[in-house]
Parts: sequence; C-alpha cells; structure tokens
Amino acid sequence: MPLRQKASLLDLGLMDYRRAYGLQLDLVEKRRTGRLDTDIFLLTEHPAVFTLGRRGGQENLAVSREFLDRQGIALIPIERGGDITYHGRGQLVVYPIILLKSAGLSVTEYIFRLEEVMIRLSRDYGVAAVRDARNHGVWSGDRKLGSVGIAIRHGVAFHGLAINVTTCLEHFGWINPCGLTGVRMTSLARELGREMALEEAKQRMKGHLAEIFERDFSLMGLEPLLE
Amino acid sequence: MKEINELNLPDGLRYTRDHEWVKIMGDAAIVGISDYAQDQLGDIVYVEMPEVGDEFKQGEEFGTLESVKAVSETYLPLTGEIIEINEALADAPELVNKDPYENWIVRIRPADLSELDSLLTVDEYLDLLNG
Repeated sequence: MPLRQKASLLDLGLMDYRRAYGLQLDLVEKRRTGRLDTDIFLLTEHPAVFTLGRRGGQENLAVSREFLDRQGIALIPIERGGDITYHGRGQLVVYPIILLKSAGLSVTEYIFRLEEVMIRLSRDYGVAAVRDARNHGVWSGDRKLGSVGIAIRHGVAFHGLAINVTTCLEHFGWINPCGLTGVRMTSLARELGREMALEEAKQRMKGHLAEIFERDFSLMGLEPLLE
Repeated sequence: MKEINELNLPDGLRYTRDHEWVKIMGDAAIVGISDYAQDQLGDIVYVEMPEVGDEFKQGEEFGTLESVKAVSETYLPLTGEIIEINEALADAPELVNKDPYENWIVRIRPADLSELDSLLTVDEYLDLLNG
C-alpha cells in the first residue's frame, strides 16, 4: 500500500506578488524551525508584475521603467534563480514550501517533478509540452509555456513554477523572458486556439501535484497561518 | 548526481549542516561549499559575494550561489570578518563545480575558534548525508 506523505494545499486565489512573497518567507521560516511540520503547497495567480532574479536582468526589460509605472506594473527584485519574468492574470503559479531532505528530493529531482506537473497538465488539454536542455521550464515547440525558478534557504525550497493558461502574452513582449533573446512565450489557450477556464486547470493542477509529489493533501485556509 | 560514496569529502575540514566547509589556516580560515552541495546545485552560474570587511555571526547568510537550477544561500560556519573574497569566481563560477575545495569562496578571520566544536567532522557530515 503506498503511503503518501501529508502536505497542505492552500489556494490563495488572486494575490499581490509582494504579499504572496512575504507569506512564502514566513512559511519557509516556520518550516525550517519545525513550527510547520508538513510541506505546504501554495497555489496563486498574481496581478501583472515583473520580477528580476538574483542576477538582475533589467537589461532584458525592453520598455522604460516610466512606461511600466504608467501601466501600473511593478518591477520587483527577488532571490529566485533565473532572470526577468512576468506574472499576470491567467497564469497559474505554484509555490511549494518544501523541506527537500525530508521529502527525499535532490534539487535535480525536484525541478524535474515541477516540470512534470506542467507537462501532465498540458497533456490533459492535448498540448504536447516538453523539457528543453537549454533552459528549464516546459516548451511547446519553440515557444515557452511554463517556467521554473526556485530558491533554497536552510534546505527549504520556495518559489516554484508558473504556467501560462490564459495569460495575456502581450506583456511578455516587453521583456526578453528569462534573459533569453528571441524566445516566444505561449499559453495553453494560445496553443489550443480557444478559450479556457482557469479554474478547471487549477483543479487539474492540484491532482497532478498530489500524484507527482506523492502527497495526501489537506486543504487549508490562510487564517491559521496569520497568527 | 553522485552517490554518497562517490563524494569527495576531505578529512581535516569542518562541515556545516548547510553543506559549507571551513579550513583553519593559521589565524585565518577559508570557507567553501562541499562536493555534495555543488553536485546538488549543478552548473553554478553566479556567486554572490560579501564585501571585504563585512562581519557575520556563525550561521549567518554571507552570500548566495546560483546554478541553472536554483539559488542557494551560503552561511558562514564561524563568526568572523571577511578578509578576502575569491575574485576568480566572479569570472569563472564553474570553478566551484570543478573543485569545491581548491576553489574556496571567502577567507575570514574567525572571532572565536571554540565555535569549531559545534561544526561537523567528516564522519559526522557523512552521517548527516546518509541520514
């Protein structure tokens, strides 16, 4: 009988990037010190925002900061791996706060599984997404569909994956995503050429996370974490 | 990925639970990351360094390593002052993958050598990895 590790799943809905980031840091600390005794997977969607990785990537911003200000889109430096990226409505984001050692995961295996979750979700919709050795994340042909970027603090991984479901792709045109020039971003809806329901994709995502990470999820709300 | 018995873990160093090592050299010490850590991270593309003169407490974050896979913080094994950073890593961060012991990250002046007692010997570190 397969025994699955317990984990919590918390659907944050639409949440401002900075607020979700603050929550991640708080949970990383709680997980590290044992005040949280299980891993916790955050699901969210962010209002439009650009984030910069450790190495920066501002040179990969193709529009001026004044232009972003006028559009009301923030540019936030952050410690995850990778270069500049975009988050916005219609993009499904997962932040697992996961103690890698107790999960029995190497960094390589962990990244592989994050990519696998996105590949399975894409397959549900008949989109054949694949990995690409040149760059982490998942691709449909030469178009990038989903990204992976993680950070590790005292053995606890945070940040995670982002897959474009119904994302407005125009904003990606304002950057060289991940510092890669000439990369075109895509979304599941774009690949399918039809409208999609984000909620349905989110439910499917939960199933794939449970399966790929071999977890028995209990759903939780935000309140118990805000003591 | 290397198996644990394939890792190069030199004797005579002290290790941390976060996979740094420290080697005492006179009244200074050099600090780097273990073979296990470089192997886990994969190809390192960026080493973020502190400034010479910066002071850190034992276990405090002094920089980060970024690989194609992840960003990982590095913690100072001993309280002390940074007296030198390995400038070669700015242009060639992959040196850490090639030899994580030859290619130390920072040189420090430790404030209190009795802190060494709280660090792991190679046997204790191996137990941690096997744990």
